[in-house]
Amino acid sequence: MSIRKKDHTLIDTTEPNLLNGTFNYSLPPLIKFDGPIIEYIDGEPVEFDPKSAVARDIFITDTTFRDGQQARPPYSIEQMVTIYDMMAKLSGPNGVIRQTEFFLYTKNDREALDKCRDLGHKYPECTGWIRANKGDFRLVKEAGLKETGMLTSCSDFHIFQKLKFKNRKECLDAYCEVVEAAFEAGIRPRCHLEDLTRADIDGFVLPFVDRLMKMSEQVPEELSVKIRLCDTMGFGISYPGVELPRSIPKLIYKLNQECGVPSDRLEWHGHNDFHKVHINGSSAWLYGCDAVNTTLFGVGERTGNPPLEGAIIEYISLKGDLCGIDTLIITEIAKYMSSIGMLIPDNYPFVGKHFNTTRAGIHAGGLRQAEQIYNIFDTTKLLGRSPRVAITDKSGVDGIAIWINEYFGLTGEDRISKIKVHKVAQWVMNQYEVEGRLSTITDEELETKVKDYMPDYFAKYKGSLKNL
Amino acid sequence: MHIDDVQTRVKKVIAEVLEKNQSEIANNANFVTDLGASSLQSICLIAGFEEEFNIEMDEDKSLQVQTVSEAVSFISLYL
Repeated sequence: MSIRKKDHTLIDTTEPNLLNGTFNYSLPPLIKFDGPIIEYIDGEPVEFDPKSAVARDIFITDTTFRDGQQARPPYSIEQMVTIYDMMAKLSGPNGVIRQTEFFLYTKNDREALDKCRDLGHKYPECTGWIRANKGDFRLVKEAGLKETGMLTSCSDFHIFQKLKFKNRKECLDAYCEVVEAAFEAGIRPRCHLEDLTRADIDGFVLPFVDRLMKMSEQVPEELSVKIRLCDTMGFGISYPGVELPRSIPKLIYKLNQECGVPSDRLEWHGHNDFHKVHINGSSAWLYGCDAVNTTLFGVGERTGNPPLEGAIIEYISLKGDLCGIDTLIITEIAKYMSSIGMLIPDNYPFVGKHFNTTRAGIHAGGLRQAEQIYNIFDTTKLLGRSPRVAITDKSGVDGIAIWINEYFGLTGEDRISKIKVHKVAQWVMNQYEVEGRLSTITDEELETKVKDYMPDYFAKYKGSLKNL
Repeated sequence: MHIDDVQTRVKKVIAEVLEKNQSEIANNANFVTDLGASSLQSICLIAGFEEEFNIEMDEDKSLQVQTVSEAVSFISLYL
């Protein structure tokens, strides 16, 4: 690329430009596009318009009870019903979380499915998941489901080494037989192109999907095949210029434009082996998949799947609107999952104990002056989690003032100034400089010190202590 | 209160907080560059002045005070 030197003139102002159109604080920061995305496909430039992509009815699907459960001990029926109920509340009336899939193999699987459906929620719709085995459609039919996912692995690693087919044709015919069986049973098949990002796209995937599309022409629209693009090993790459089979733009384009699978029948399913799981899912929306398959907190096989709550925040950022989503439920789900033994790392985005906690005194100073300086969005309003400071030798007096105000739930004129907290601050510094402490000061210790050094204050406000 | 009394009591507070002899504290001494006050000690000085004179000062303005003589003038506004 040639250098295009350009001079840039300072636009001096006494009024800050806080870019409120993007960072308006009442929502997650908006994602705005100012041009097309260009990808070269078969040597030709192809434009993807992200604005029209965002305008489509994009949505989230869930596999917490399928892929999610493959990575942890089974949920009890009661736990599944509770989680499903909260997921429905999070999703809202527009069905942003459109579907969730269930195993159907055990008595518990089927009872959990029945009890979830008994709640009467429209969304997420319950779907099934079976192996590509004709006999398994009996389970789907008995469960009264309209749609089921089925494994149609498409890399030669799976076709030859795992499934032991003699050749690709035998494999393709076998898969199509099962799809035919689904049609006969009146069930919509969702073909999971397992290991797609390691498959021979031209040699197997596209001919297979072509045939699925032809088969779909013979059945009513509501039975036509859906395609799940499974990045089973996390090999998918979202940025342009990457060759197949790892290129997400090219994979989606080929299926969408060349095979003619409509966007509303394309779904991305990713894994996080290379830390790409969330951006790969979001990119799939932009390149033509309407659905991104997720799990709560990203729990899934090995390194996991796109985190559902991350997709929710991304969805709002792209749409610029809550779209009926009740984001407060994210925190409720995290609390529930923790209560049943899920470990959520402290620094995990949106729900970790310290996701909006600052430790540096200089950051705490900013936070004290204006919360937005060091808080990603209004986490109090959207997640029920006000920004916090963790107290160490780096917290400074600002940090301690914020901690006390938050801990005692003080607002407006009741908020304490940092001058009033100097004795507590001195105690904290002595812990590190005199006592040689290396650990963070706990909430309980600080509460005790407020009581010791600021007894009048403690007596006045102890009634408003927050359980943080 | 006479300005000399204010100055004497200001220096007493400074000596206690920064652990200095009052005789070492010049009228034009800067709290940070001459007397070595840390950010926490600067807060402790303001708290000490408030306690000594039984006053409550504006936090932001008091934090802008940098020298002994500025402190004497600023505190006098509240007396």
